[in-house]
Amino acid sequence: MELSSINKNNIRETVLQAIKKAKALQPALNAVVTFVDVEEQLQKLEMMDPQLPLYGVPVVLKDNVNTKGILTTASSRMLSNYIPVYDAHIVEKLKDAGAIIIAKASMDELGMGGTNLSAYTGPVNNPYDTTRISGGSSGGSAVLTAAGVTPIAIGTDTGDSIRKPAAYNGVIGMKPTYGRISRYGIIPYASSLDHVGYFSTSIEDACVALSVLAGRDDRDMTSSYEAVPNYLQSLNSDMQGKRIAIIDNVQNAITDSKIKENFNTLIEQMKQRGAIVESVHLNEDLLSVILPTYYILANAEATANHSNLDGIRFGMREDGDSVEEVMIHSRTKGFSTNIRKRFVVGSYSLFVENQDKLFRKAQKVRRLLVDEVKHVLDTYDATIVSATGSIAPHPQDSIDEQLSSEYLIAENHMILGNFSGYPSMTIPSGFVDDMPVGINLMAKPFDEQTLFNLGKAIQEETGLKGKTVEVKL
Amino acid sequence: MKYETVIGIEIHCELKTKTKMFSGAPVTFGAPANSCVNEIDLGHPGILPCVNKEAVRLAVMAATALHCEIDPLVKFDRKNYYYSDLPKGFQITQQFHPIGTGGYVEIESEEGVKQIRLNRIHMEEDTAKQFHNEAGTLIDFNRAGTPLIEIVSEADMRSGKEAAAYVEKLRSILHYLGVSDVKMEEGSMRCDVNISLREVGTTAFGVKTEIKNLNSIANVQKAVEYEIQRQSELLDQGESIIQETRRFDEAKKATVSMRKKEGNVDYKYFPEPNILPIRLADDWIKEIQEHLPELPDARIQRYQSDYGLNDYDAGVLVNNRDLANFFDCVCEHTGEYKLAANWTIVELTAALNKANYKMDQNPCDPKHLADMINMMKAGEISSKQAKTVFEEIMLGKDPKTVVEEKGMKQMSDTTELLRMINEVLDQNPKSIEDFKNGKDRAIGFLVGQVMKASKGQANPAMTNQLIKEELSKR
Repeated sequence: MELSSINKNNIRETVLQAIKKAKALQPALNAVVTFVDVEEQLQKLEMMDPQLPLYGVPVVLKDNVNTKGILTTASSRMLSNYIPVYDAHIVEKLKDAGAIIIAKASMDELGMGGTNLSAYTGPVNNPYDTTRISGGSSGGSAVLTAAGVTPIAIGTDTGDSIRKPAAYNGVIGMKPTYGRISRYGIIPYASSLDHVGYFSTSIEDACVALSVLAGRDDRDMTSSYEAVPNYLQSLNSDMQGKRIAIIDNVQNAITDSKIKENFNTLIEQMKQRGAIVESVHLNEDLLSVILPTYYILANAEATANHSNLDGIRFGMREDGDSVEEVMIHSRTKGFSTNIRKRFVVGSYSLFVENQDKLFRKAQKVRRLLVDEVKHVLDTYDATIVSATGSIAPHPQDSIDEQLSSEYLIAENHMILGNFSGYPSMTIPSGFVDDMPVGINLMAKPFDEQTLFNLGKAIQEETGLKGKTVEVKL
Repeated sequence: MKYETVIGIEIHCELKTKTKMFSGAPVTFGAPANSCVNEIDLGHPGILPCVNKEAVRLAVMAATALHCEIDPLVKFDRKNYYYSDLPKGFQITQQFHPIGTGGYVEIESEEGVKQIRLNRIHMEEDTAKQFHNEAGTLIDFNRAGTPLIEIVSEADMRSGKEAAAYVEKLRSILHYLGVSDVKMEEGSMRCDVNISLREVGTTAFGVKTEIKNLNSIANVQKAVEYEIQRQSELLDQGESIIQETRRFDEAKKATVSMRKKEGNVDYKYFPEPNILPIRLADDWIKEIQEHLPELPDARIQRYQSDYGLNDYDAGVLVNNRDLANFFDCVCEHTGEYKLAANWTIVELTAALNKANYKMDQNPCDPKHLADMINMMKAGEISSKQAKTVFEEIMLGKDPKTVVEEKGMKQMSDTTELLRMINEVLDQNPKSIEDFKNGKDRAIGFLVGQVMKASKGQANPAMTNQLIKEELSKR
């Protein structure tokens, strides 16, 4: 579904249709945690200007976006009863732009995962093949966009949590520059890596969404003062002279020949459009430690970020004989084993005796990796790689952690966008075995326009603008 | 055995800001429980901290006044631990890069002026306040997130007196700066004392105890002195000191054990990712430093050199900032500084005590007191009359009105005085004779007679002068 297909003369009907569709798909996809009552929003809309960029547009929020008075669980048992007392910054932005929030979407528990198998409400299924995973952690938002429920769905991205499910579900997944969109009111995973982003089915819609969501928020000190451009107005698919770098470590690590072929075809098309596409080689040793580096940094921050979830002031509470016992019991029962394991890893890397060899070392490696990327982007407009090394796997074949070199690089390279904070976007590039695949682009800080322009050219080549899938029920 | 006492002090001081360290919620002492909180103070999911610029400004003021080196790159860190008064499960503090390092405080010790070195001064946020009762524990989050500075001294103090002098001096400096209320009894200034003993002549530190909950400067001294006694008795008996946290029990006048310290807790400090380093502009820092309020030592100096006050008077005034400020106001309207100091220190303080007023309830207009002092000096009223006038000033009255209403004006009318003097001289020929024979004290007698005749209203100085003149004519 695209923004342009919204009938502004019959918003109520459009919104109710979207909800109806999501409800019909719920048994097959299991993408929604909470349906939002839209009556009040529809009433408020009557007072608003129909020219607003998202006037009457149904949108979905990942369930880690705080919505005042509406259940927000981050797909964790710990927050299964949590009703926020305030709206996230982007909720205000969306509502001010006329959007109607229709649902809160499933995710990996607290954003910590890449499969969406860990959600408290159960796995989310891929709309192209419901026996396959959606990917995560923004799985619910990705599949609802892919299934044509809403034109835009909000996600968050700490490792590749928007860009990987985007590839698996054949939609655009945009993670803008760190600081471009305020994180105020987003239940965090790892603050220095967390980004707010979104899914759409066309580059044009992606342009509109970023213009709405971006901008300085005084409640987020990391949010940028950089002016927000009108991306749609500047959209230009002319590739003449554009310098694009293929990170060959990533392409070399991929073994699936069909995915390679899909990528190579697209590269040829880009060259024919006049783009200068060249291979660059990054330090392989550094690239192969992206995952452990990420694992240490993300979990260290996460263990502190989630220390507020103690059962004392909100969320699930499990009784005990002392305050300490209440905390221990609540946290033991409230988090899944995998989350607790991650907290242990994060904590361990922060112990005073381990900080030098784990946490601080990981920070240094992060800096070195960012230097590698920066070096490439000093001379190129963007990098281009296959987003994933495979199509969406079946649950039993999906892994979150594996130490094969293929997995380490081919499945984790998009974390570079989180380490650096540089804008990164996944866009559908076609199909392999009837499942969608995507390519990933990364550009200089605050140069989202280049991503959109490249994306526009790719969209023209693939003909996948507005592509959604009819789920076989 | 002879022991040397080694004392280091950590002071937490609430900064006087309108809002909290990292949230926009108001900071109001004594507000109803949990009425000054927002989602940030409660540590709700998704909140982010935003540094309070005013708190940084106050911290820069404090660091400057305490002679610290200021780090213009402000960074914060997380201190991680679970406790019900810590909503986020971590405290945002400055572990790795304190706003101020080094510095010192000068105190008066038995050996003269002594410098107590500071280790650091850093910014952080306060925890919530807990109330334990039979029903359980109640938590008031109003205090959660209140801006604090922590001032850590080196272990430079050697006695209870020095410890008390250090806290007193620090309190006075912070009070004059206006960065904090520094009320120990209300907890806006809190003091943890680390104390250990070692054999005289040795340099290694002994096992220390930490004393908490000291709600007055007097108790700092008492607690330290008790602890010195307790520790030295233990050591004399060949026992060892247990590293623990103790609190001062006012009723028992003793320190009692609160909890043992089981090794050092690992707080897993790491840089706060939600606050990127903030570069303070050099101009901004300079602007703050150049406009520091006058500090206590400087004011004592000024009172001595500009107003000619002695050590004692200057000290008494400066010890009480509000009294000193009042005194400064009086001095704007009179040049009689010594008299102004006396009246402020003695009469005003006594009158306030009598009326059970605090300094901020003082009804006395400093200009009125100055006017009264000027009238005394000009001989318009006697010092005895002044006391009556002052009583009325304390009721808010203008001294000029009082003098007129009570008909107190001293007789300075020469014609009238001369008439009285000549009358007295006529009645006392013996005194005139005595004077002519060189007995000067006769004058005193005659002045007394005139005063009596005028019912105390004659201006004594003028009377004295006129009598001399009249006598020489006879």
